[in-house]
Amino acid sequence: MSQREPRSEPHVLDQPWRVWATIAVMGTVLTGILLGALIIPIVQGRGAGLDAFTAICRALGLIPGSPAQPQPTDRTPPTPVSQVVWTPDVLQILARADVERGRAKVQEVCVACHGESGVSSSPDYPHLAGQSGAAIYKQLFDYRTGSRTHPLMTGIAQALDEPVIADVAAYYAGQPQRNPNPVTLADAPAGIVQLVELGDPKRNIPPCAACHRRGAGGPIETPVLAEQQAEYIARQLRLYASGERRNDVYARMRTIASKLTPGEIDALAAYYRAGFR
Amino acid sequence: MSDVHPEAHERRILGTELAWAFGVGVFTAAVLGTIVFTALTMSINPPSNVERIDPKVLHLSGEFAEQNLGTTVAADGSVTVRAIATQFMFVPACIAVPANRLVTLRFSSPDVIHGLLITGTNVNTMVVPGFVAQVHTEFTRGGDLLMPCHEYCGFGHSEMWATVQVLPNDEFKPGPDGRISCAQR
Amino acid sequence: MRNAERLCLAHFWVAFAAFLFAAMLGTWQMWVRSPLGAHIGTPGQYFMSVTAHGVSMAYVLTTFFIMGFGYFVAVTSLDRPLPGKPWAWAAFWLGLLGVVLAVVAILSGRASVLFTFYPPLTGSAWFYIGLVLVVVASWVWCVLMIVAMAGWKRDNPGRPVPLAMFGTVANALMWLWTTIGLAVELLFQVIPAALGLVQTVDVGLARTLFSWTLHGIVYFWLIPAYIAFYTMAPRAAGGRLYSDTMGRLTFILFLIYSLPVGLHHLLMDPQHGNATKFVQAVLTAFVSVPTLLTIFTITASFEIAGRLRGGRGVFGWIAALPWQRPMVLATGLAFVMLGLGGFGGIVNMGYGMNAMVHNTAWVTAHFHLIFGGSVGIMYFAIAYEIWPRLTGREHGSLAPLRLQLWMWFWGMLIMTLPWHWVGLQGQWRRVANFNYADPIIAGWGPWVLVSLGGGIILLLSALLFVRNLFILHRGPALVAARPLYALAVDPPQRVPAALNGFGLWNVLLLAIIVLVYGFPIAQFLIEPSPGAIVHRVQ
Repeated sequence: MSQREPRSEPHVLDQPWRVWATIAVMGTVLTGILLGALIIPIVQGRGAGLDAFTAICRALGLIPGSPAQPQPTDRTPPTPVSQVVWTPDVLQILARADVERGRAKVQEVCVACHGESGVSSSPDYPHLAGQSGAAIYKQLFDYRTGSRTHPLMTGIAQALDEPVIADVAAYYAGQPQRNPNPVTLADAPAGIVQLVELGDPKRNIPPCAACHRRGAGGPIETPVLAEQQAEYIARQLRLYASGERRNDVYARMRTIASKLTPGEIDALAAYYRAGFR
Repeated sequence: MSDVHPEAHERRILGTELAWAFGVGVFTAAVLGTIVFTALTMSINPPSNVERIDPKVLHLSGEFAEQNLGTTVAADGSVTVRAIATQFMFVPACIAVPANRLVTLRFSSPDVIHGLLITGTNVNTMVVPGFVAQVHTEFTRGGDLLMPCHEYCGFGHSEMWATVQVLPNDEFKPGPDGRISCAQR
Repeated sequence: MRNAERLCLAHFWVAFAAFLFAAMLGTWQMWVRSPLGAHIGTPGQYFMSVTAHGVSMAYVLTTFFIMGFGYFVAVTSLDRPLPGKPWAWAAFWLGLLGVVLAVVAILSGRASVLFTFYPPLTGSAWFYIGLVLVVVASWVWCVLMIVAMAGWKRDNPGRPVPLAMFGTVANALMWLWTTIGLAVELLFQVIPAALGLVQTVDVGLARTLFSWTLHGIVYFWLIPAYIAFYTMAPRAAGGRLYSDTMGRLTFILFLIYSLPVGLHHLLMDPQHGNATKFVQAVLTAFVSVPTLLTIFTITASFEIAGRLRGGRGVFGWIAALPWQRPMVLATGLAFVMLGLGGFGGIVNMGYGMNAMVHNTAWVTAHFHLIFGGSVGIMYFAIAYEIWPRLTGREHGSLAPLRLQLWMWFWGMLIMTLPWHWVGLQGQWRRVANFNYADPIIAGWGPWVLVSLGGGIILLLSALLFVRNLFILHRGPALVAARPLYALAVDPPQRVPAALNGFGLWNVLLLAIIVLVYGFPIAQFLIEPSPGAIVHRVQ
C-alpha cells in the first residue's frame, strides 16, 4: 500500500507539474521558433542563393521577399492618371473649406453655366447641387493638372488654387437637390433597375448602386448621379467607353462603360435623371 | 474492480490514456513533420512578403501605376505580374501568364481589403491595403482560369473577378518592352 | 437552484431568440445565392443579412448561452448560491442593451461590415459600441465565475474543484485573454474611425488584433460542449467518466493552446512573415491534441456505460447505450461531426493545403459543421438536459427532442458536405449573386441546391428546438431530477494545484503570448503600416 502525501504538503505534488509543464510548453514554442525563424529559412535560402541573414530577415518579415525565391525589382517612373490622393490632409482641407468664400467664387466664375444653386442652365453642363464635395474637388483638380480636359473647364480650373477648389466644392455640396418631375419606380425599365441594383455577373459589371448610392462605402471620389442631367451622364459614359476621358483611377469607369450597350447608357442616364438614388 | 487497489486502478487508467496520448503525439508529429519536410525540400511556404506600400498614393507610384499593370518579362527572363484589386474589379481584368515557368504575382489595393484565388492552382492570397501581396507559382495546367475576389470588399464584391490566360510557350510572346496582354479570342 | 433559474432562463431565451432569427436569415441567404434566387435580393440586403446572421450566431447566441450555462454550473456543481447576483443581472441588461444597439444599426443598413468587421470598411459607431457592451457584460460573467470558484476553494481547502466548474473557469479565463485583441481593435482603431476621429486605419494591425481573438473565441464556444462531454454525457449514459485527470488536462490544453494560434487565420495575409506563420502551424497542430484525447476518454466512458448495461463483445456496448436519451444521442452525433470537421481543421492548418481552400466555401463548410454542428447540437442537448431543473417541469415525450437532434445532424451534413466539395473546386465566399452562366460555376449549381435543402432542414430543426423548450414551460411537474454530473471511475481525493487552479497556466500563457504574438504586433508599432482611408458603409 503506497503512502499518500499529507494534505498539508501540496508542493510535493505540484513541483513536478510546474517543471514539466514549463518544459513541455516552452519547448514546443521555442522549437517552433527555432525551425521557423532559423532552420527553414536558412535551408530555403541556400536553394535560392541567398545568404543566411537575408533569408532570416525575409522570413521574419523585416525585409520584403520570400526566403525561397528571388525578389523582383521595378524601376518604372510614375505616370499617374490623376494626381488626386485622398490623404487625411486632403480630407482636412475639404472639411475646413469655407462655404462663404466658395459662394463668392461661384458667383464670380461658375454661376453662368452651373447656376448659383447648382442647377445648370443647359444639358451640356452638369448639375452640381448636392454633389459630393470630394467628387467636385477631384474633377476640378484633374482639370487643373490636365488629367481631364475640357475647352472651357481647363482654363477655369487652372486659375483656381487648391483651397478655393475646396471652397467651391463645399459650397455646391451643401446646396439642396431639387425634386425632379415625379416618376415612379414602376416606370423604370426592369432591366435597368436590375443593372443598378444587381449589376451583371456575366459581364463582370458591379451594381451601380454599389458605389453610387450614398453610404455604399465605395471610392471616395464617387459622384452622386441622382437628378443629374441625362445628356451629361450619357456623354460621360460614352467618353469613358472610348477612353477619351481617362481620369478615373484604375480605369474603373472606363472598364464598366465599355461593356454597356448604347441602349443601356441612355436608359441609365434617364433612370438617374429621374431622381432614383 | 473492488479487489484492485484504487491507486493502481487509477494508474492503469492513466496508463491507457498515456498510450493513446502517445498515438496522438505520433500523429501530430507526422503532420508537423510533413510541413517541415515540404518546407525544407520543396520550399513550400505560405504567401509571405512583408512589403509596405502606401495605398493612398498607389496610383501615383511607378510600379502600380495603371500603365505598368499586367505581365512583364524582365531582361533575365523572370516573369512578374502586377495587378491591382480595387472596388470592384481587378486591373487588368485579364492576365496572361506562361505555362510551366516560375511566375511572381504582385498585388496591392488602393482602398479596402480584397483577396483572390486562381482556380485549380495554389495561388491564394489576401490583398491588404498598405502591403504588397506576393505569390510565386508555376501554372501547370493550361486554359483560362478564374480569379475571383474572395473577400468581402463592399456591395460589388460578387461581380469582382479576373481571368488568367495560361499560354503555352509558343503563344507566350512578349513585346519589345517585355509586356504581354491576353490574346484576343 | 437557489433562485438562479430566472437568471439562466433570461440568458438562454435571448440566445435562442437570436439563434432562430439567424437561422431564418441563413436560409434566405442560401436561397438568394442559389440558382433559384438569381434575381432576388440586392447586395445591400444580402450583406446586411450576412452581418446580422454572423453577429447573432457568433456573438449573441454564444455569449448569452455560455453565460447562462456558466451560472447554472456555478450553482449546481458547487452547490452554493451565485456570488454577486445583482452584478449578473446588471451584466445581462447591459449585454441586452448592446445587442439592441447592434441589431438596430445592422437592420437600418448602417453596419453591413460582417461580423468580422473589415476595416477600412466602417459602419455606424453604434454597431461597434453595442458589441463592446456585450463583451463587457461577458467580462462581468468571467469575474463572477472566478469569484465563485475561489469562494468554493476557500471553503473547501485541499479538495478538487468539481470538473464542470473547473472547465467553466478555464473558459472564462480564456475569454478574458482572448477578447483583448478584439477590444483593443474596436476601442483604439475601429470606433475612433467610425466616430470620425481618425481618417485612416492601420489595416494590418487591425487584422492581427482581430485574429488574436478569432481562435480563442471558437474554443470559448466549444468548451461548454466539452463540459457536457465530460460531466453530463457519461452520467446520462449511465456510466462514469473514465478519467477526471484527463478532463482537467483537456481544459488546460485548450486554455494554453487555443489562445496563441489566432494568427493562423492570417496564413494567406501579406503583413506577416513565414516564420510567424510556421510557428502558428506548429501550435495549431497542438490544439488538436485535447480534442483527440477527449474522443478517447469519452468513448471509454461510454464503453463503461454500455458494458454496465450488459453490452458484450468488442462493439456490443455501443448498441446497449441508452440512445433514446437526448444527451447520449447528441454526444454520438457530435462526435461524428467532430471527426469530419476536425479533419477539415487539419487541412486548414497546413498552409500548403490552406492555399487551396482559404476563403472558399470549404471554410464556410468547416465552421458550420464544427460549430453549428458539433457544438450546436451539444448546446441543444445541454438545454434539454437542464431545462427541467430551470422550469421545474419534465419533458412529456423525448421523441420530438430526438427528432430535432436527428434533423439537425442530417441537415448539417447535407448542407456542409457539398460546400466542402465546391470549396475545393474554388467556389469563393461572400457572394450575393453567382454568374451561373459560366460553365465552371454552373457545375456548382446543383450542389448549392443540395446545400439549400440541408439549410431548410436545419431551419425546421431550429423551429422544433424552440418549440420543444417552449412547451416544456407547460409540461408536467418535475418529480425527481436525475443527477446531473458524472462521477469519475476514480474520483480524485486531491489533485495537484496545477490541475485545480490556473496560476501556473496563466503565467505560461503570458509567456507564450509574448513569444508568439509579441513580434507580430510589435512590428506595427515599430513601423506602422501606411494607413488606408476609411470607407463608410452607412
